[in-house]
Amino acid sequence: MKLLTPALLALLCACSPTQPTVIAAPAAAAPAKGWLAWRGPNQNGTSAEKGLPSAIDPKKPLWTAEFPGQSAPVIANGKLYIMGYLGEGAELQEGVRCFDAETGKMLWEKRYTDFLSDTIYLRYATSSPAVDPETGNVYTLGTQGMLKAFTADGKELWGYSMMEQFGRLTFPNSRTATPLIDGDLVIVRGVTSNWGNQGAAGDRLYAFDKKTGELVWACWSGERPRDNSFSHPVLTWFKGKRVLITATGDGNVFCANARTGEAIWRVPLFKAGINSTAVVHNNDKVIAIFGTPYEPGQMVCMKIPQVEPTHPTNAPVVVERQAVELWHTPEISTSTSHPILVGDRVYVVAEKGDLCCVDVNNGKILWRVKLGIEQRNAGLVHADGKLYVPMLDDPASKGTGEGDAGTTGAFYIIEPSDKEGKILSHVPLEGRCFGTPAVYNGKVYMQTTKKLYCFGKAGNNPGLPPEPVAEKWPAPGKATQLQVIPSEVLLKPNQTASFRIRSLDANGFVVQENIDPKSLKWVGYIPPTARVRASMKGAFNANGQLVAGADVVPSAGAFEGTGADGLKGYIRGRVLPGLPIKEDFEKFDISVVHETEEGVKFAYPPLPWIGPRFKFEVREAGDTKALVKAIDNKFFQRATVFMGEPSLKNYTVQTDVMSEGKARKMSEVGQINQRYLIVLRGNAQEIEVNSNQERLKVAVPFKWKPNEWYVLKSRVDVKPDGTGVVRAKAWKRGEPEPAEWTIEVPHKIAHQNGCPGLYGFAPQEMRVFIDNVSVTAN
Amino acid sequence: MKHIPLLTAALVVGGLLSTTGCTQAQTPAPKAVASDSGDWSQWGGSQYRNMYSPAKGLPDRFEPGKLLKGTENFDPATQKNVKFTVKLGSQSYGNPTIANGRIYVGTNNDVPRDKRHLGDRSILLCLDEKTGALNWQLVVSKLKSGKVNDWESLGLFSSAVIEGNRLYVVTTRCEILCLDVEGMANGNDGPYKDEAKYVVQDVLGADGKQAPPIPPGPKDADIIWRYDMMDELGVFPHNASNCSILIIGDVLYVSTSNGQDWTHVNVPSPLSPSLIAVNKKTGELLGEDDAKIGSRLFHGQWSSPSTGKVNGKDLVFFGGGEGFCYAFDATPKKEADGSFLKTVWKYDANPPEYKAKDGKPIKYPAAEGPSEIIATPVFWKNRIYVATGQDPEHGEGVGHLVCLDATKTGDITKTGVIWEFKGINRSISTVSIDPATGLLFIGDFSGFVYCLDSETGKLHWKHDMKAHMWGSTMVADGKVYVGDEDGDLVVLAAKGGPKAEVLSECNLGAPVYSTPVIANGVIYIASNSHLFGLHDSVKAKAVKP
Repeated sequence: MKLLTPALLALLCACSPTQPTVIAAPAAAAPAKGWLAWRGPNQNGTSAEKGLPSAIDPKKPLWTAEFPGQSAPVIANGKLYIMGYLGEGAELQEGVRCFDAETGKMLWEKRYTDFLSDTIYLRYATSSPAVDPETGNVYTLGTQGMLKAFTADGKELWGYSMMEQFGRLTFPNSRTATPLIDGDLVIVRGVTSNWGNQGAAGDRLYAFDKKTGELVWACWSGERPRDNSFSHPVLTWFKGKRVLITATGDGNVFCANARTGEAIWRVPLFKAGINSTAVVHNNDKVIAIFGTPYEPGQMVCMKIPQVEPTHPTNAPVVVERQAVELWHTPEISTSTSHPILVGDRVYVVAEKGDLCCVDVNNGKILWRVKLGIEQRNAGLVHADGKLYVPMLDDPASKGTGEGDAGTTGAFYIIEPSDKEGKILSHVPLEGRCFGTPAVYNGKVYMQTTKKLYCFGKAGNNPGLPPEPVAEKWPAPGKATQLQVIPSEVLLKPNQTASFRIRSLDANGFVVQENIDPKSLKWVGYIPPTARVRASMKGAFNANGQLVAGADVVPSAGAFEGTGADGLKGYIRGRVLPGLPIKEDFEKFDISVVHETEEGVKFAYPPLPWIGPRFKFEVREAGDTKALVKAIDNKFFQRATVFMGEPSLKNYTVQTDVMSEGKARKMSEVGQINQRYLIVLRGNAQEIEVNSNQERLKVAVPFKWKPNEWYVLKSRVDVKPDGTGVVRAKAWKRGEPEPAEWTIEVPHKIAHQNGCPGLYGFAPQEMRVFIDNVSVTAN
Repeated sequence: MKHIPLLTAALVVGGLLSTTGCTQAQTPAPKAVASDSGDWSQWGGSQYRNMYSPAKGLPDRFEPGKLLKGTENFDPATQKNVKFTVKLGSQSYGNPTIANGRIYVGTNNDVPRDKRHLGDRSILLCLDEKTGALNWQLVVSKLKSGKVNDWESLGLFSSAVIEGNRLYVVTTRCEILCLDVEGMANGNDGPYKDEAKYVVQDVLGADGKQAPPIPPGPKDADIIWRYDMMDELGVFPHNASNCSILIIGDVLYVSTSNGQDWTHVNVPSPLSPSLIAVNKKTGELLGEDDAKIGSRLFHGQWSSPSTGKVNGKDLVFFGGGEGFCYAFDATPKKEADGSFLKTVWKYDANPPEYKAKDGKPIKYPAAEGPSEIIATPVFWKNRIYVATGQDPEHGEGVGHLVCLDATKTGDITKTGVIWEFKGINRSISTVSIDPATGLLFIGDFSGFVYCLDSETGKLHWKHDMKAHMWGSTMVADGKVYVGDEDGDLVVLAAKGGPKAEVLSECNLGAPVYSTPVIANGVIYIASNSHLFGLHDSVKAKAVKP
């Protein structure tokens, strides 16, 4: 075992929420300057830099790198960071690379194999890194949900697997919002189906302490998601509060307090998810654009609603659009492009490829120029009086010969006035342009699906503007609440968690740090809206630490802490025993009356598991009780449950499984072992091993019948060289276990660890049943 | 999900079939005539699916006009050569068909015609051919599973086929419906009588519980029988069910729209059929294809079938979701484990260089890689014409247009090609062949319209529409009518030469995902939001009906 440094040890004992994997203690780091976030220094895609290129020549870049992706580069202290992907098939890896921004020399990289995600068609590296101006640390969120914090020289500080620890869902389009840094927090968003009151799918924001990785708050936009969203949150001020505003997968524009996660308001705009990033004008207006590729939407400008949040459910106030709309235009729609704001002008490439200039004050379209058929996922930037605009496909390059469509992107440099957008430069780039450019220090950076380009002038640009002055935050008022960090813990029986306590004013600003934990009185807390009235088995000790009970039964719940001055703060906690995991569901009290199936009763699935709410139920199944994939929520035909921690490895999963069925319809049922899915496929009559189906998917025939129990068993063996083999077998329950494995799948870059889980896919009203769950160490 | 999944959804191209005496022309060179009546009673006008009409005296320019302020209605005073415009929903992919004085068109429910049915529904409108007034509508609720099986708001795709007093259509619930063309106006004909429940399947009331039945009125559709392909065959439709049905004699031929799930790799029902044969009178399953396409699907199965008599045998031509074009014997053959449409020939429409480069396979849906067939194969003079393409969500990429010898048998990948054209990009458009000149017209998703010699495949010209094209060209009266995603309706001269001649261009105000069709001297084209009936106003005035 590696020796732990005292600092690291301290962090581990602090035993965070759903614990981050803490790799290194934060070291003192230098403040960063540059183009630190995907939208640049002003959050709106603009820069005050002068002396930037008016033309680029794709044949004469300053440098290029073979690092494809759909990301926007960020630049800090001479280093460029960008997401990208390399490799093929089951060996494909996505991650971050750091280059010398001047020379293109690669300085470091971290890459991760995809697992269990729905990402398809090489839609990797859709988000961008974010650099912390205070420390220069770098934060990334991969499409598979790996959230990572690095130092500027690539040392990993901490990380989470958002899928396994927060139930973050993935989508075929893989659009992933970039992490946002604000003060001491790094904030990420995604559609999650987590546990407890975060169990229902929702578009959520999670804020972590940027140095330690501890969870500080979580919040929900308040509606059921209709789709994923690619809208990146924007920070602004609202009634003295530091807030973020984002469009969401439920078709709203949503505002939350960035310091506390308090949901403030939302404005429903669209019947589908909104991908386009909103822009905030003058701290009093929001401009949002929505639409689908098939049905035009609108561009809407609204006043920031002047409403106060309501408690205690932390749901945002719903503000009807009519009450706040200043103007809208149906002539501008986009499903995935991001607008920018330059003074009183919004620039955006609308759905069918027109670059539009719009007057923020009245919605008047001053001009439009068609640059191609489509921009997708991309944004543009403005600096030095010029717009830098990528287009998905180059209109000039196609139709010139056979086999050229869809392989060449276009890059435009345009001089906008209030009369026209004058095209200064239009060049083809190798690979399609999904990414967003960055401009910094006399250079233009652009990543395509083939490579990363750097154009412009070598050396330092005298036109670089002074660094923006950090915003001054208001002095805090009177303390009204406590913030307990971490706000969530996952403990093993008998394990202890410590907390940092601080008081905040009504706006969420810190009044006092490091309040003595011993000064709080803690009681179990059940939110008034909770359907599952459960408590975590554990209690606070005299030192203000939470000690999990000795019981090896999983449990979960919340606690309310009251300080000496009567201020309150909350945490949520779960207790999950480590290996072995044994669950036969026999102790569940089946007494909840089913809402849609008459005469049926069930019990809620184990509360501390991630993801089962509204998808699985514990029901009577003949003479036993079993976990049943519900079929009334068809939106979740397929459901995945995680039962532990992602650090687990080298274990065997065994479950009894069954599918209902008739003539040509059966379902699929499976288990997750170390980030591999092992599944019995009913309609295909196969047993399959996969992990992101496009990356790794191997199946062999396996005849199995509906309405009969089978046993499914798997293990993953990893060798010191990093290769591994996934082994699984299935047999009819009651028959002897076969000696041989039914399927053995080698994986060159094997998953080294991962959370055990369960899986059901019931697309055709055929329920699946899971019983006698066992996860044991090998 | 379109992704967005991936959403996607393309399907515009479906086709319908028809009727015209249904068993075809006896000669190897069929008359490419929609029908003697001048109707357009199925996708492609005839069972051969050639996007051609023999109509004459058609106008070559239009002014779609302006909307009356504050309304969604066009001001007739601002229109030219427009017979009428009918407001549709907000997305309309269903290509119109016209038979016996009625127009049928698929759309969504964004502008509800019946206040009892609010929210997302797929709608088939039956309109009066003279006035555009509503006769009745079919209301189809959405599948509970959402976009993976039934993408939101897309409306009904299938182009209805009409034969006598019966209409056949595939719904977005992956069903085949046989409807009474009179609707409920003549009473509720059976055997299916559950229309009141049909319209509220998976619809929840304000209390979150199953909504109560809505009894049909005189302006509702009358369902005669219903065949649920998901329930009966285990089919898992990907995003949208779209087939335009083919009729030969008493048999319907229907693509199932079976496909992948969200993962875009996994096919949940790989053993379910892609094409089935159903008794048109009873809805009874008669057979299924023997090609086992399900396990090889690239994405979904969205091509509509066509037919032709070859060597004395009725063949059903079908574009596979794995990129093969098939000819099946139309007569199902009973075997030990079922009844099958036997493959007569098959053709791999993806050339080797689309499948591998430098010895490494090119992965679907890479722009330079293989595609499926979404367009409908067109039968013309014992040949099949069809191009490859993909869901528009996948963007642009390489395509392949081929002319095949339909008289061959077996694997005709090497033996059956009369000519091929790789200059085209991905296309989900069905070809138009002008019998007067032998010129072939086709659009692609990159926005080009091509004119080729149908005998040799020689390219005459290509025209850049500068917008994605989903629908197909329509050739008639020496002109090519074509719409695009920018909402442009362009009229080109249907002639060869080095350069396209643009006769006129106008904008319909909303994306055009459909194909212009022609019935009884009127051109019908649906934009997302309106159905336009276009004709020569001056002539129409002269011969008032």
